[in-house]
Amino acid sequence: MMSAGLRDIELRSRRTELLLVATVLIFSIPLILGYGLLILSSFSKEMVTNLNPHDFIPTLRNWILFFEGRTAVFGGIRVNIWHIVLNTLIVALGVSFLVTLVGSMTGYAVSRLKFSGRKRFMALLMLLHAFPGSVMVVGIYFLYLMFLPSYQLVRFYSFFFVIVARASLEIPMATWLMKGFFDMIPWEVEWAALVDGASRFKVWRKVILPMVKPGVAAVMLFGFLAGWMDIIYVRTFLVDQTLATWIESNINAEYSYLPLVAAAGTFYLLPTIIFFLLAQRLIFTISATGVKG
Amino acid sequence: MAKSNLFSKIKGFVRSDAFIFLLPAIILIIVFYLIPIAVSVYMSFTPLRNWNIQRYIHEFVGFENYWRFFYMVTHDPTVQPIFITTVVFIVVTLIVNVLGGLGLAIATFFMGEKEASGTQLLWLLPRMTPIAVYSMIWYYFFHGSAIGTLNSILMALGIIHHPIDWGQSIIPWGPWMIIIFVNGLVGVSYGMIVFTSAISNIPKELVIAARVDGASNWSITKNILIPLLKWHIVYVTTWQMLSLLTTYDHIFLLVEWGLVNRYWGTTWALYIYNMAFTAAEKDLGLAAAAGVILVIVGAVLGLLALKIMGFDKMVKEPRGDI
Repeated sequence: MMSAGLRDIELRSRRTELLLVATVLIFSIPLILGYGLLILSSFSKEMVTNLNPHDFIPTLRNWILFFEGRTAVFGGIRVNIWHIVLNTLIVALGVSFLVTLVGSMTGYAVSRLKFSGRKRFMALLMLLHAFPGSVMVVGIYFLYLMFLPSYQLVRFYSFFFVIVARASLEIPMATWLMKGFFDMIPWEVEWAALVDGASRFKVWRKVILPMVKPGVAAVMLFGFLAGWMDIIYVRTFLVDQTLATWIESNINAEYSYLPLVAAAGTFYLLPTIIFFLLAQRLIFTISATGVKG
Repeated sequence: MAKSNLFSKIKGFVRSDAFIFLLPAIILIIVFYLIPIAVSVYMSFTPLRNWNIQRYIHEFVGFENYWRFFYMVTHDPTVQPIFITTVVFIVVTLIVNVLGGLGLAIATFFMGEKEASGTQLLWLLPRMTPIAVYSMIWYYFFHGSAIGTLNSILMALGIIHHPIDWGQSIIPWGPWMIIIFVNGLVGVSYGMIVFTSAISNIPKELVIAARVDGASNWSITKNILIPLLKWHIVYVTTWQMLSLLTTYDHIFLLVEWGLVNRYWGTTWALYIYNMAFTAAEKDLGLAAAAGVILVIVGAVLGLLALKIMGFDKMVKEPRGDI
């Protein structure tokens, strides 16, 4: 069921396996180089993207500057990077919460309840995938401007707006994912609770939801990453900067000290790395249930 | 008759248990998918510019934005490349994604557990990486000067003597190569996940029997794996095609930072975003018209995809409901 599943463990030769691994590794070289050089640059005085060993002068200065909240080495623009990290975190946590809530409700309905238009609703969820994001952003920005509040509230409003708008994008994913998990629970459990006279909502909250904890965790994780990694919604709607928009404005800027940007980028990558440590097995279990009805 | 039928259907739905569970999703879908599309349709009939809503929103120009758009697509040398690029980008990236995903899934199938999960994790990385960091990585990899990783490798190997500005000087192949490469790496993991989980559901006996009969890796792939993955290949192909038609976020920064040519590195979806948000003169009527046509193309392809995939068969009625 987990990543173990069906493997070809029988009778295959070691030599062809090594050959395969080597082939995959060759194709992976750009990937490994790209990520490796970024991380290495964050520990160096100069960017080492040109593979020149003389440029690699080990230092922790970038990281010290970063943790001191200084984003420029000399003069120029100073922004406290921790405010930016906090902004990114607020968006990610907000998206994660909303996606999990809505996804587990909708997923339950399409998995367990009969209602007229169920099939159409599920077809719509798939069709939403074909909606072009950039066209939607244009329309959403129009709504954003229509409901713009007074000057004092704009920052709060923009956080709220970006969280709800970005979370909406993840609803189809979250619904299909949760549906897969709800499908796996034997319906007798629910039936027993319903016979005892509990309402459907209560059954969902008290009986069913605790049984799909891995699914809830997965959606929370995916939702968090979706909010954390986003650039388009954040740069379009959010008044404050996040790590994404900070990197966007610093790559080509005259004043930026690039190894420090590399350090910020590596820091920005940390949740992704943590995600991999946590979710390795989860992803392949999910996908096994997610594609089928 | 039909009207009262629909009305009672809606009334029944509102009273059912499902209503409470679906309400939040329905509200979000209406507010953030359906209304924005409707707003875009409206905008495409107005001369809206630079988000100056008060000034332009009550003026109507009919289909003028659409005619302008068609005229630009057929005549404007700065718009034409975008559509050629979109077609090339979708076709080539689609091939890379499906074949790459299939290749990775099959390759990991023939590997030991540790090697397989290592490979899977490595190739999932692009999809899970913050887009700004991901763009930054490839910005330095394909950089046009000697600090670019690709240039420095080719120079060290003696293949080229001067750094090449891949995204700006070799038109159109350079920018195409970069955007296809960058998006291809993200897309490959989708096929890999779907194919890997499909393979793990294949009855073990089939492979063991084939092995005992002395079948090679190649004949197992050709005679067992590929035939059993047929439906999944169709599914991934159609799904990815829709993704590629509408994707723009992984290209956005590469264009903004000047790594790739603005005309030969922009796709239709990105063109709309840039016209609405980053252009000096934001021609929103035009952007909306281009957007509405993209929505229509996406909807047609999406409906086609649902048909091809046999959506009806995928959705079973829930069991055991009382």
